[in-house]
Amino acid sequence: MPVQGIRSVTAARNGVGAFILQCKRLEFHYCDWAGSSRGMLSYLKHQLPAFAKANPQIEIRVSPRPHKHPVVKGHYVNGREKAICVRNLEPEQIVKKVHLLKEASGEKLKRTKKPVTSLNESVRGIWSPYHGGLKSV
Amino acid sequence: MFSRTTLARALALPIEHSSARSASTTFRACLHQATSTTTTTTSQPEAPLSATPRAQTSIPIQQPRFLTSSNSIPQTRADVPLNKQPVAPTFDAPLKVSQSLLELLPNLTSQKPHFITAHLHDRPYLLTAGDQLRLPFLMPKVKSGDILRFNRASVLGSRDFTLKGGAQYLDERLFECRVRVMGFESEPLRITEKTKRRRRHVQKVTSKHRYTILRVMDVKVKTAEELLEEGAVVVESADSAANVELKA
Repeated sequence: MPVQGIRSVTAARNGVGAFILQCKRLEFHYCDWAGSSRGMLSYLKHQLPAFAKANPQIEIRVSPRPHKHPVVKGHYVNGREKAICVRNLEPEQIVKKVHLLKEASGEKLKRTKKPVTSLNESVRGIWSPYHGGLKSV
Repeated sequence: MFSRTTLARALALPIEHSSARSASTTFRACLHQATSTTTTTTSQPEAPLSATPRAQTSIPIQQPRFLTSSNSIPQTRADVPLNKQPVAPTFDAPLKVSQSLLELLPNLTSQKPHFITAHLHDRPYLLTAGDQLRLPFLMPKVKSGDILRFNRASVLGSRDFTLKGGAQYLDERLFECRVRVMGFESEPLRITEKTKRRRRHVQKVTSKHRYTILRVMDVKVKTAEELLEEGAVVVESADSAANVELKA
């Protein structure tokens, strides 16, 4: 008897019932000395507390990374991470980058041509030439 | 579909009315708290309901169920203040259904699953419950976790039956289709190489489009009992809002 895999009964579909934000952690790295971190330091001081308060489901970590450019890293539920280098960016630009990381799903970017992705079987079934609507020649 | 008025009709979309804000907020407060006497209504000099076209019509229109029940404010998010909660749609005429539609509708509603051809910016999307929909644009003023309600559909059906609106869209009181905003995605960077003749230079044009990801929460066809309870009127077949057809 061949080995059979365990057939899954259900597939997880986030958002149908409950909704879980896919971004679970954001890490902010900065350098106290370097000039490319100037915008990042201002962001950490002024914008980040409000963002952290507004998004309690996201863990926020801030840590120095001396002699390196500032980086924002997002960690996702699916185990992947996204890193964005924010060197020489203004605080307003960093706000946009953080928003991008927060709203992302963590999946690798893919080019898809069809707008609808479905796990369900076809509602109408598969067309058969032998059933229904037979036409006589 | 996403003009300001239709957005307000999309029951579950939290949006703020920028024009005539104070009037709309008081009106909304009256809509939801029709039976309970509130401080907001008494402080207003005029009864705001008298200004609406619904009350001006001479024919008494049967109030839909969602307006009469005072306590069921459709709350999408708890942190959204009451005056920014989605507005219940206001129609100036009750839904017209034919007798044949009422007779055939139980066939459609009892046969699951259902599909819907929902239209957004005049593009059709064939959806079933649980599908993921990637809109070809970045939807403004929404954030992940928001619930939207699609109110334009041309076809609604099950395996053997189809509800068709004919030339116009189906009436939005016939069905419920809710989607949740999952987030925003982008495609990988596209680089198009452009060349001119007799010029040793290649121009590289980059583009990176951003998309809105939605998840279809449910596709529900309202039953005949629900329609009649919400104030649908039985009319001749020519004036009916939609017709059920057997699959050919």
